[in-house]
Amino acid sequence: MKRRSIGAGNLLFDVFVYLVMFFVLFCCLVPFLYMLAVSFSGRKPLVNGEVFLWPKEFTLDSYKQIFTYPNFFRAYGNTFLYAIAGTAIALVMTSLMAYPLSKKNLWGNRFFTKMVVVTMFFSGGLIPNYLLINTLRLAGTRFAILIPFAINSFNLIILINFFRSIPEEIEEAALIDGLGYFSILWRIVMPLSTAAVATIGLYYAVFFWNDWFNSLLYLRSDQYPVMMILRNIVNGTMVIGTGEGASEKTTIAISIKSAVIITSTVPIVVVYPFLQRFFVKGITIGGVKG
Amino acid sequence: MKRFLKTCLLLVLMAAMALGLCPGTVVAEDAPIEVSIWYSDNPTLPFMDSWLALNTTAEIAGLDVTVEAIPSTDFATRVSPALNTGMNLPDVILYQNTQGENASLALNGRIVPISDYSEWTPHFNAMVEKLGLQEEVDQLKLQDGKRYFMPQLFDKPFYDGGLIMRQDYLEQKGFDAPKTFDDLYEILKAYKEDYPDSYPLTHLVAPYVTYRMTMPSWGVSFGKSSSSGTGALSYDYEKGEYFTGAISDQAREYLRFIHKLYAEGLLDPEQAAPIDNDTWATKMATGASMATYAYYDQIGGVEHASEIEGFKLQMYPSLEGPAGAHHQPKSKTGKGILFPIETASRPDFEQLVRAIDEMFFSEECSTIWCLGVEGVTYTMDGDTIVYPEEITSSPDGIYKTLQVKYGCGADPLQLVWINEREMTKYDENYAQINKTVAAMEGGNVIQSIPPTPLFDDWTAEDANSLQTPLADSIWIWMDAFVTGAKSLETDWDEYVNEMKALQIDELCALYNEHLPK
Amino acid sequence: MTKNAPAGVSIQRNSMLRRYMRRHWVLYAMLLLPVLYYIIFKYVPMVGNVLAFRRYRPGMSPFGTEWTMRYFERFLRDPMFWRAFRNTLVISVFNILVNFPIPIIFAILLNEVRIKPFQKFVQTVSYVPRFVSTVVVIAILNELLSPSSGLVNRLLESLGMEVIYFMNEPEWFRPVYILSETWQFTGWTAIIYLAAITSISPDLFEAAEIDGAGRLQRIWYVTVPCILPTIAVMLIINVGHMLRLGFEKVLLMYTPANSSVSDIIDTLVYRTGLQSQNYSYATAVGLFSGLIGLVLVISANTASKKLTGESIY
Repeated sequence: MKRRSIGAGNLLFDVFVYLVMFFVLFCCLVPFLYMLAVSFSGRKPLVNGEVFLWPKEFTLDSYKQIFTYPNFFRAYGNTFLYAIAGTAIALVMTSLMAYPLSKKNLWGNRFFTKMVVVTMFFSGGLIPNYLLINTLRLAGTRFAILIPFAINSFNLIILINFFRSIPEEIEEAALIDGLGYFSILWRIVMPLSTAAVATIGLYYAVFFWNDWFNSLLYLRSDQYPVMMILRNIVNGTMVIGTGEGASEKTTIAISIKSAVIITSTVPIVVVYPFLQRFFVKGITIGGVKG
Repeated sequence: MKRFLKTCLLLVLMAAMALGLCPGTVVAEDAPIEVSIWYSDNPTLPFMDSWLALNTTAEIAGLDVTVEAIPSTDFATRVSPALNTGMNLPDVILYQNTQGENASLALNGRIVPISDYSEWTPHFNAMVEKLGLQEEVDQLKLQDGKRYFMPQLFDKPFYDGGLIMRQDYLEQKGFDAPKTFDDLYEILKAYKEDYPDSYPLTHLVAPYVTYRMTMPSWGVSFGKSSSSGTGALSYDYEKGEYFTGAISDQAREYLRFIHKLYAEGLLDPEQAAPIDNDTWATKMATGASMATYAYYDQIGGVEHASEIEGFKLQMYPSLEGPAGAHHQPKSKTGKGILFPIETASRPDFEQLVRAIDEMFFSEECSTIWCLGVEGVTYTMDGDTIVYPEEITSSPDGIYKTLQVKYGCGADPLQLVWINEREMTKYDENYAQINKTVAAMEGGNVIQSIPPTPLFDDWTAEDANSLQTPLADSIWIWMDAFVTGAKSLETDWDEYVNEMKALQIDELCALYNEHLPK
Repeated sequence: MTKNAPAGVSIQRNSMLRRYMRRHWVLYAMLLLPVLYYIIFKYVPMVGNVLAFRRYRPGMSPFGTEWTMRYFERFLRDPMFWRAFRNTLVISVFNILVNFPIPIIFAILLNEVRIKPFQKFVQTVSYVPRFVSTVVVIAILNELLSPSSGLVNRLLESLGMEVIYFMNEPEWFRPVYILSETWQFTGWTAIIYLAAITSISPDLFEAAEIDGAGRLQRIWYVTVPCILPTIAVMLIINVGHMLRLGFEKVLLMYTPANSSVSDIIDTLVYRTGLQSQNYSYATAVGLFSGLIGLVLVISANTASKKLTGESIY
């Protein structure tokens, strides 16, 4: 009897879970499919409001227009460079800081953590940062956007938290075996935290992928990431001026905007399925214990 | 032997040096001056360093130009910290004026007062004189009596946007082209009767675009992006001073008219700010709306796409209201060239200014910026400008084709605009409307922008702190009056009192006190 | 160290410190570069906060020209500021109430999906909305909710209901804002919780199964307690960041009719400060919000330490 009731409960639960999942799929996919359809549709059906989830009067014009934008592909290359190099630097720096701070009995731990927390609420503002980057002679170099964002306090705290969840015995055993802290971090802690590191890495990658503000302030136009161009295309429609002759002649069609979003989103979205192998259960703590 | 060789070598060397030096010095004099320029890059017309107009004019002026194309959406964000700190700046910034922050920057010595170097800008001076714009250019002087940028010059303001309506509907119903706002009302009403589900008059981007373009016919301009830039004040062109436009009787009259349209379902209720260009186009093309305030160059796209038979849009001259027929005020000067103060410390500053002056304002170069190079982008048939087949047949139209391919007519780069010359790039119809508008109201349909008060940075801050809450409340009240949430009859006094409490009179006094004499 | 401590104790302490350092200096060596980074890139620019108390004149010293309290006075006395403050607070509280639990629930349920390819697919799709730019999110919202042509209103109409102008009516502003946040960030935030769930030892689940726990029980007695540290840390950070709302989104959703509820601190600063380039005013308000954030995070941290034993410092 009991067994069956659990079985029925299980089934009900499964139905519930799948219903939720399909609802999520619907909510997330429909707008995206809509944009996909729009980006491939001709002007006429769009203006007449006839496009929904399937393109009408199929055309590649929108994509052609984006891809022929001057320097589009160089900018795309820049973006890849920043996303990869930026994430690598950030992961190294963040782990280097997170590991010592994950040790609750480390002398000075609370001081350093508080130092980190404070930066989550206070920043210097635009002008001081601009002065700093220029004084350090980073402006005009690619380092201007790689180095100043090497550690994000939010990501750091998440990583500290994950490192703390690793059982101390494992480390103590390694210390007794004569491993130094660097080896422990590299050979034990990092492999045990692949899911966390992958998550943080993804967060960083997306930050570097999407960042345009710092590129705008510090880079030369040949170093611009693709987001600068795409942002200009998407937002260029909203020149909402004030006062005299302000103009909002907006001539960028929604089909191009949609194509822009798809072009800029697909590569970074595709990264995740590759990362997902780090989320496979059991390779972490179970593996070591076994 | 050795000695002979050495002598030979010496001779050869000397000859080479002599040969090398002579042309060398000549080259040094003629060597193009290197100059870095910031350009505001509009995504619809992306910058290309291969543009014919750019390279030809730079060569004529003897400049070696490096252009940083900065996205137009973020241009101000890029320029502001650079000018504030003096770091990471170019020699020349295009598309700038000295309003808002730039005024303070200029007064605090961050920008070259170019009017002090007037003898180095002969081409600019000549062009100002030729177009008769001395007065307008002088109005750009700041509190210290200096002008800090070289503006764009227009001989006549363009009527590039205004009332756009379905001509086919007007013809079908036997309406004449509207002359007054009452005519407009009758047309909208007829359309609503024929299509009860429609909202005949719709907005582009947001309602304030419509308001801004129509209000001057009532003698006021207030609200978001009004001509004074305050949202609260309007300018009395006869008296030559500001008045509290937002709480004037004219304002009330105007709002009564708009509210009437709204209440009878003639005005699109959509308010949320960016009314997408495509949403707007869809409404027009499907007949959900039949009239709008928008820009002429947008007509084609909608006409092409509409599936309604006989669908035809036309732009009409400004309609007459209680204060005559007026369009939104426009200036005969526009954003232009600005030199950061750092540029003045270049040893070749004089040559640079002279070259820039030639590149943008000389007769020869300003023609290239408009039309391109004769024989390539156009030919002259007597006095008439003739464009080649490949340009006239382009689906983008002459204006856009010239800009995208050759860089002619790019807003930040072309600094001299002659209305008649520009009109050759458009169809007859557009030129005709411009002519009509120019002939109406004694040529004063498009009034000039009211003069900017001469504030120092401290007063500017005061004016700003008065202005923001006023502009906020006016925006909200206006919406309430239009939609009927507040009554223009019974709630008007409350509104006026609120504005007085927010010191609208003080703001007005502050503006009038600082008007340029 | 007590005042009258005998010299011996202090020597002992010193030698203890030395021994401690000899054992752990590597950990401090690791910290060297990151701490330097924090000082240079986060703390040095903070000097700029003096602008809150100084008058900034464009083009003159970047740290202001004279001392003044007028910027603090101006916003603390401004009724518009307090209205904006209240609005920010209300939206934030609702936002946390709704959008904090949803990603956790989603992550847990997603973990219960047993068809792995489907699970991966849902996971990937769920975080796509994170990449749609705010401008476009608003464009989609405007289109869906438009009173004249929107899908939702056409649906309402066909059901015989009144047309609602969602984007303009004050009472609809908060729900629309919060739900759009849900849509954009649920999948994205869930990634952290998924990582935490992934780190749970499978042994624990097996043990629970052997004990005859049903799936709901397993979730309740194994999954939730195991990810509690992550939940606690996320909550502390979220509470600290409560007042930071999606400025761009609010600005785009801001209409005259809904301004009584949609004007938040950031939009007010934008209008009064940044649009007219008043850096001092913006800095003063920023400093004020930062202080509130800090107070919030300290309270949340203390509360969490007492309740769950988890804290971020």
